[in-house]
Parts: sequence; structure tokens; C-alpha cells
Amino acid sequence: MAVNAPTRRFDPVWPAAFAALICAAPLLAVAALAVFGPWTDYMVHLVQTRLPAYLGHTALVTIIAAGLAGVIGAPLAWLVARYAFPGRGVFEWLVALPLAMPAYAAAYAWYDLTQGFGPLGGYVPTVRGPVGAGIIFAVTLYPYVYLLAREAFAGQSADAYDAARTLGESPRGAFLRAALPLARPAIAAGLALVVMESLADYGAVVHLGAPTLSVGLIRAWAGEGATADAARLAMILVAIAFVLFAVERSQRRRARQSAPSGKRRPPRRVKLAAPAAALAVVACSIPVLLGLVIPMGRLGARALSAPLASDLLEAAGNSLFLACLSGLVAAALGLAAAYALRSGRKPAVFAARLAGLGYAVPGSVAALGVLGLFGLAQSWLDTGWTFAFGGVFPALLTGSVFALVFAYQSRFAAAAISPAESALARVTPTLDAASRTLGAGPGETAWRVHRPLISSGAMLAALLVFVEVLKELPATMILRPFNFETLAVAAHNYASDERLGEAAAPALLIVLIALPPMIWIARRITGGATGREITR
Amino acid sequence: MTFFSSPIHRLALLAGAALFALSACGAPEGGGDAGSPGDVNVFSARHYASDEAVYAAFTEETGIAVNVVEAGGDLLIERIRTDGDRSPADVVITVDAGRLWRAEQAGLFQPVPELEDALSAVPDNLVHPQNDWFGFATRVRGIAYAPGRVTAEEVADFTDLAGEQWRGRVCVRSSNNVYNQSLLAALIAAVGTEAAEAWAHGVVRNLARPPQGGDTDQVRAVAAGQCDVAIVNHYYVARLARSGDAADRQVADAVEFAMADLAGRGAHVNISGAGLAAGAPNRDNAVAFLRFLLTEDSQRAFAELTNEYPAVEGIAYENPVLAAYGTPRADPVNVNALGDNAAEAQRIFDRVGWP
Repeated sequence: MAVNAPTRRFDPVWPAAFAALICAAPLLAVAALAVFGPWTDYMVHLVQTRLPAYLGHTALVTIIAAGLAGVIGAPLAWLVARYAFPGRGVFEWLVALPLAMPAYAAAYAWYDLTQGFGPLGGYVPTVRGPVGAGIIFAVTLYPYVYLLAREAFAGQSADAYDAARTLGESPRGAFLRAALPLARPAIAAGLALVVMESLADYGAVVHLGAPTLSVGLIRAWAGEGATADAARLAMILVAIAFVLFAVERSQRRRARQSAPSGKRRPPRRVKLAAPAAALAVVACSIPVLLGLVIPMGRLGARALSAPLASDLLEAAGNSLFLACLSGLVAAALGLAAAYALRSGRKPAVFAARLAGLGYAVPGSVAALGVLGLFGLAQSWLDTGWTFAFGGVFPALLTGSVFALVFAYQSRFAAAAISPAESALARVTPTLDAASRTLGAGPGETAWRVHRPLISSGAMLAALLVFVEVLKELPATMILRPFNFETLAVAAHNYASDERLGEAAAPALLIVLIALPPMIWIARRITGGATGREITR
Repeated sequence: MTFFSSPIHRLALLAGAALFALSACGAPEGGGDAGSPGDVNVFSARHYASDEAVYAAFTEETGIAVNVVEAGGDLLIERIRTDGDRSPADVVITVDAGRLWRAEQAGLFQPVPELEDALSAVPDNLVHPQNDWFGFATRVRGIAYAPGRVTAEEVADFTDLAGEQWRGRVCVRSSNNVYNQSLLAALIAAVGTEAAEAWAHGVVRNLARPPQGGDTDQVRAVAAGQCDVAIVNHYYVARLARSGDAADRQVADAVEFAMADLAGRGAHVNISGAGLAAGAPNRDNAVAFLRFLLTEDSQRAFAELTNEYPAVEGIAYENPVLAAYGTPRADPVNVNALGDNAAEAQRIFDRVGWP
């Protein structure tokens, strides 16, 4: 087949790696600031005073967040993927919705509910401190684990589980010993996202009084004006993220050796009898109540006595536009980076890994990196333009939609790469070999063999980035064009000024906008093959 | 099989085309058409109904369109610095003197000699010594207290809060908050670094609970009996008192607000301030805008819609809650000192372990 020739000569790994490297550029700008920025005595002061506490809080918050998110997310995924009970089809996407709740908004609402004068004050402990922050992250971020794990469970062949059952394992034992280990890469990827987002948070930990490292670096920047020192502290977060990726990767490698390929016997859903079904409904409801309904209700109750913010529809339109566009771009970039990772070629893998690290850095530092990068790029463009045509480059990079979409890609690359990579893990090297034996080039293999297997992963990547962009703050605030409001910015402006009631309406709209794509994608991912039910 | 048949290539192509199309619509706004009064580009760290009202009134009166970017003060400063000569910023507005100080240190402002007459009605201590920026509204950081458990005399001065009689009775938010930093910066200016550090140390010893929540939450804690006094800005209490929610008004009724002295020098006053950007592309419009912030109607809007005190002296306004607090007798120190001492204040917080 002559048409195969161009794709054979053209190796798509390199453009993919290049795209990933561009995504990593803002982080590299921050790293450069950390290395070359001026040294003051502030770091010494920090080590002597607060740094140990920052590190301790960071460890505690992330351990609680990851532990709880795993305990909630993975069993929930198993329940929804493998059992049939009333309302299962609704819970399938409903339990993912807390992801649309910004963690800081949940923190404001829960603190407001449980503090001394609040309606729950005295009945439940006040949600505060590192433990409170860890819980808030767990109940708002567990959907990462849920979404990725459910994808893995639903796509898993039933063979391993059934074999374990045949060998005398209880359903629980078979889950723990057969199904869970197979889903380990997906769960690890989900947990990595939970940890990184917890590391990057600023609003929730400040409000609940659990100053983590990200608080320390914002303080270095805002209070001391020490941007270089803030960049250095950000590098600690990057290092933690790097270790996380290494752990996740070793999980993945181990899982790949045992992963079945090609032949799949779709799992069947076991129909639960009445008492167990009721329990399942309760189990699915609790996380949604904690992560979404209750905080939303508190904000809503406050909204009743507050004036409605103006221009919410326009802000909703802007949010939707940015989120759709970024989700689309992210799906492409995520896949590209995942292919780069899969190729195993060192520079490509390095670039893709680098792109994912930006997720653990607080959004305002990432925004700082984007600003620095744009400043540099602008001066090059202006100089080049002056040489060629005279005058300056006709467009200013900051304050444009392009700037925003770029910033989102660099910030949320990890959320796009993880699902794509997790899905690609299902495409074993033997499949590639078989495809090549049959005469297909890399392009045709990607289209005809990989695409059906990874399209759900790509959609998940688009969805995660879509929701992230709906919630994103600092980069949106500082890079947006004039008079360009988004829902998250509106919600934050009010919430940070302690006007919870006015923050409620935009926060509610964020959730409502996230709803349709979540339903649609949940349907797409699970539709078809896994729909059979059996009665026992 | 062609290059574009792979899903990655097609997606990438689609995304690339979309981005290219978008970069066009993101072009920055310029000065407007010739003949029209044009625009003024405002970079603001505020987000209040009063501001929207003032912008609308300005546009109505002058025909000049107001373009706004709102973001945190530090981010605003970084963006203007990054854009350098090409920054579209005309006016910079923040809610803390420390941020204005930093922007001025970064060379982002230019003096506005045209405003000298308008600023003569603003107390000197609210204006930058070289006229680089000025306060157009003020906020008082004082003490909210439970009248049954605390007398007004006991909270007459901030320095008293470090005393042993307050052990386990004080609520205040985290030292990450810029209003706390400015309060301590003002105290440094009043009594010196050592005494200020001793005071901060005493307050930390007297905390009723670890810092959590915002100023409003501290007021609620006083009302709920978790503590007897709380260090808060006046407008948070005023907002509760004027809330549409009965529960909020109940909280406000349970507390009193004292404009505590700073070591006998008067109340600690911070500003909402504005300055003219160094490279303002629409300089004339910007000057007109800055002048407009000081008009009687604008000053009234800040007092009536945002519960701030007008910076211009002798402005009449209708706000019964503010009227009940009375006009602050302010610490005469120039608010520029808040920026001067900000870094030192933060280091004190770190050393005394004010969370």
C-alpha cells in the first residue's frame, strides 16, 4: 500500500513531544526564576520559622485527601461498574459531579455550616485545620479516582474476577485480589491527580487554617515580594509531583505485565437484592451529599438573602466557551503526550512528564510562569517585527483568549495526560505488533486499532479539563481580556470578600454547566458492551 | 491513508485552527475611534456594586467607556510589569496601601499634578508623598466585642489586647491576610519593631482558637461566645448589620464595634487607593476617571453601597450604621508606611508563630 509510505517516514512522536514541551514552558520559566532569581535572606528566615509547619501540614492534608478519596472513589466505581441497583444509571454520572464544586467554595460552605454560630455548630466538629482541609479535598476530588477506576473496571475483562471466584474467593476477596490490582494504574493516576490538586490549592487551606506549602509560597510572593523565593518553594511542589509520577509509573509497569490484551469478555452486572440495593443507593448518595448537595445548599440558603450578581449569563457563556475549547485542545494534547510516553523514547517521555508537573503548582504561580513566558515571547516578537516590518508586533499576547487557552493547557496537562495514558495502557505492544504484521503503518494502527480502545479515555481527558477550566481562577483573572468575566471569577470575587450568598449563584451555574457533558460522556464511556445484566 | 487520518492529527489540526481564529478576537482594545471620547482601562483589585455604579456614572457623564480587568493586587502588578511599555493599563486600583506601595516601587505609577486641587480635600496621610497614588475610600480595622462581657474602655487601644487579662478571649484571622499585615505595619510605625513584635507575641498567646475563616467569621465567633473580642474591618460588621438575612442582623446586634486606637495615635485606617499607570495610553481619560472617583456622588456611593468611609472630607451620606460608628479619628501616619513596613510585619508574624 503506497499510501502508507508517508506515515511510515513521519514519526508523530516528535511533534507530540514538542507540544508537551511547549506546555511545560511556563513551568520552566518558574524554574529559571528559581535558579537565577536574586537570593535574599528570606529562605533562611523561612527555614527557621514556618517551613517545617508548612511541610507537615502539606503531608497531613495530602495523605488524608488521597486516603479518603481512594476509599470513596474506588469501591464506588466497582459498585457502579459491576452491580445493578435502582438508580444506577443516574448515579453513574451523579457521583462524579462534586468535581464541579470548587474546593474553596466547599470549604467556605462547610466552615460556615459547622462553626459556632452555624446551623450545625455544636452538633458536628467544626470543619477546619489540616484534617478538615483533607476531608474537603477528599469529598470534592474523589471523582478523579472514581472516573478513572470505573473506566478501568468497566473495560476490564471479567476473566480474572471470575477465575478468582471459581477458585473460592468471596466477591470481596475477588475484588481485592483480582479486580483491584488490575485497576491499579487507573486508581494511582486518579490519586495522583487528587494529591496534586490538593498541593496546588490555596483558597481552602487558608480559610480552614491549614497553611500548606502553597500558602507559604504565596506569602513569600504577596507579603515579602520575593518572587524568586516563591518560585523556589514551587520547585518543592514540583519535586513532590515528580515522585508521585514515578510511583504511579512503577504501578503501571507492574500492571502491564499482567494485563490481558485483545480478547475481552465484557463483565456482567450483578443485580442486587432489595436490602443490598438500598445500601448501594445510600453508599452512592453520601459522597454526593457531602461534596456537592450540602455545600451547595448552604450557599443557596445564603443566596436567598443576597442580591443576584449581574451579568451571570454572559459569564456563563464565557466559561462555557473557554471550557469547551480547552477541553478539545486538551484531549488532543493529552493523547499526543500519552503517545510520546508510550513510545518510550527518552526525550519524548521527558517532555510529556514535564508537561504534567504544572498541575501541582498553585494556579497563581503557574500564571506567573505564563506571564513571564509571554513577556519574553512578546519582546522577541516585537524585535523580530521591528526588523521585518517596523513598529511592534500588532497583538499583545496577554489579555487574549489564546493566552488563556495556552495557560490552561500548561496548567492542566496532567489531567489530560493521565486518562489518555491510562487508556493507552490497555493497548498492549502485542496489538501493535499484530497490526504491523498485517501491514498497517503507525497512522493506520492509531486509527483502526488504538482509536476504538482509547476514545473513552480521550473523552475523559476532555471532560476533566473542561471541568477544571470552569473552576480555574488565577490564570483566568490575570490573562483575560477586558470586561471578560467567568463564573469562577465571579464566584471567587464574592466568596473571597465573604459574600457567600452572592457567590452561590455563579457556583451553582458552574455545576449546572458541568452536568450535561458529564452525563453525555458517562453514557458514551459505558454505553454498549458493558450493559448486560444478570440475575443471581 | 493520509497524514490527517489519524485522530491525533485531526484533533490537533482542529484545535490549531480554532486557536488561530481566536487569537484574532483576543486583540487588546486600543484608544477607540478618532472623534469619540475613547476608553479608559482600569486594572482593579476591587469587586463591588459601588464601583460598577461609579463606572456607569462616569461613562454616562463623559462618554468614555470603562474597560475593567479585576484580579488580586499582586497579579495585577505582575501583569502590568510583564506588559511593560505595551501595557494597556491606565488606572490601577487596589484595596490595600501595601499593594500600591509595591506597585510604586516597581515604577508602575506616574504623578498626577492635575489632581492637586481635587486632592486638597483628602487628608495628607491618605495620599502618596509624591502624588503617585491616593486613597479614595477608607476602611477602619478595629475591634468587635461582646458588650455583656467587655466594656468599651477595655478595647479602647489595640496595645491592650496583648495583656494577660485577654488570655483565651481573642479571635483574629490568619496572618496571611493583608489587613493584618497592614495593622502590624502601622503598629511598627507607631511603636517600633521590638514593641510591635512583643505585642504580636502577646496576641498569639491570647488567641481563643487557631485562626480560621474570614473577618465575618470572627464576628460570628464573638456573637456565638467563642471569644470576647475580634480584630476585624468595620465594613464586615456593617454589612452584617445591613444584611437582608435576619440571622446576620442577629449576629451584628450581639456585638459592638470599637475604633480602637493604635498606641494612642488614633484608629488604624487602610485605603482603597488608585494611581495613574506610568505608560497610560489614555492619559487624559485616566486623569478624568481618577478625578471622578473623588466627586461627591462617587464618594457617597462608596459609603452607601460598600460601607467604606469617604476619603474626601465633609461628604454627607446616608448610612445609619456608619453614622452610628462615627467618623474615625485616624492615626496620622501616612499610609505609605504600611508598605514600608509590610515585609518586616510578615517576618514578625512568622517569628511569633501567628498562624
